[in-house]
Amino acid sequence: MTSPAEAHGADGADGADGAQPGPGTKGPDAASLAVEDLVAGYGEVRALDSVTITASPASITAVLGANGAGKTTLLRAISGMVRPRSGRVLLDGADRTGRSPEDMARARVAHVPEGQGVIPELTVEENLRLGMMSWPGIVKRRADRSAALAEAYERFGVLADRRRKLAGTLSGGERQMLVIARALVARPRVLLLDEPSLGLAPRIMTQVLDMVVRLSQESGITVVLVEQNARAALAIADRGVVLNLGRVVAAADAKDLAADVALRHHYLGF
Amino acid sequence: MVEFLQFTLSGISFGMIYAAIALSLVLIWRGTRLLNFAQGGMAMFTTYIAIEVIYHTGSYWAGFVVALAAGIVLGTVAELVVIRPTLGRPELNAVIITIGLLILLEGLAGIFYGGQYRSFPTGFSVTGLKVGTTPLGISRFDVFVAAAVLVATLLLAVGFRYTSAGLRMRAAAFNASVARLSGIRVARVITVGWALAGLLGALAGVLVSPSTFLYPNSMDTIFVFGFTAAVIGGLDSPLGAVVGGLLLGVALSYTGGYLGSQVTALIALGILVVVLMVRPSGIFSGARVRRV
Repeated sequence: MTSPAEAHGADGADGADGAQPGPGTKGPDAASLAVEDLVAGYGEVRALDSVTITASPASITAVLGANGAGKTTLLRAISGMVRPRSGRVLLDGADRTGRSPEDMARARVAHVPEGQGVIPELTVEENLRLGMMSWPGIVKRRADRSAALAEAYERFGVLADRRRKLAGTLSGGERQMLVIARALVARPRVLLLDEPSLGLAPRIMTQVLDMVVRLSQESGITVVLVEQNARAALAIADRGVVLNLGRVVAAADAKDLAADVALRHHYLGF
Repeated sequence: MVEFLQFTLSGISFGMIYAAIALSLVLIWRGTRLLNFAQGGMAMFTTYIAIEVIYHTGSYWAGFVVALAAGIVLGTVAELVVIRPTLGRPELNAVIITIGLLILLEGLAGIFYGGQYRSFPTGFSVTGLKVGTTPLGISRFDVFVAAAVLVATLLLAVGFRYTSAGLRMRAAAFNASVARLSGIRVARVITVGWALAGLLGALAGVLVSPSTFLYPNSMDTIFVFGFTAAVIGGLDSPLGAVVGGLLLGVALSYTGGYLGSQVTALIALGILVVVLMVRPSGIFSGARVRRV
């Protein structure tokens, strides 16, 4: 039996430069994302040094590298949590560099941060409702809200049973599903996922990554995936980018990266 | 027994005022991790505005409403003008600024209104209520005080729990980063928190001033009691603020009634020290380490 992840990995042949179409069904407003010569850091530390990546609409781009490579900072710079020192962040060609996280959320860029996306003091449903906060006011009708929640519960059945429970009572896997579900309630065009499998059992990790594939295929969402498990990430990604000490050391189709033994041994640990 | 009942009811009435101040402190603490030392000064200033309106219009209720509105405005302006510029800087900066704001407001009140004690009218009779021939030790105004704070607290609780704005405020308080990534304008939420805190402070000011008189430092002691109530309940807990206010009000009422009013401040300080030693997070907060 072939999992969605495997199927996607086999088909994935998307050009990250946007020249080739991505796999699966593209949503009507799938967005392209480009980062050009991005420099960002913390204090005197330069975490990103002239990083350039592109992600075509409805594709999955895996960002890989060792701890301290700059992966998380890259996502934070895209979503506005870190202000870039130079370079550009382009969403469908429009310059969004240095926009606040609130503005990026309203531009439908959803960022699921590493291991801290759930607010444990709120219920599951309240966490999901946070995803609606970026909606434009005109669509905030009760029917739309109910439909969005129903869709989330249909997709993530385990959350439906626990909608009134505090999110802090969920298991690690359920929490990860909740943050992804919340990101989807926001109706994103671009989804930035930081270590979605962190701390999860292998079986749950596979479920989460399969879910990422389905999101890209069914909803046409452009996914940028930061993942320590490089093998699993490359299996589902169309494109891979390897960072080392804040610099891009390789960017190619995921299957080509996975086939590069020297690169894998040197930077990816498998 | 009658005396005990009187002290209890009186304590509840005053406790609700401490609860209002405590709640205003909690609102700001949850959003910004800042203890607003100017809260009492802001309440004093809006009460002066109320008394001016009452003198000019002859209407207690006009003064009451204007004071609440002034509290919202003062809270908003304070956050935008003097607190917002300190965001991202050491927390001590903002703390010192709130102390400076307190000194400024008390100084301005002295300049504008003078330093003499002024009586503040009430909206209801202060004649003691009785059951049969037994005096209850409280008046209609005391009932109004308790009811007003209770209504304000319930409105806040319902707003926090069941509205989108309340969810925004709670999310911003619990995890500002996630709130921002969700599209919530956290800075705006913090401003709203200060506005609500200003409103609650103003409410406490107009409710307590008939009992304490009004002068530039008149809210200092009330602030200390409100702060004590907030610490008792837990600075992170709105429910704790209310319960802490009630517990403190009743405790001080018994103390004042049985031991004499001269020891109430000492008892409040003792309670504060005991709570900080035994349960520094407060009764209603989780057991977490807190920076003070």
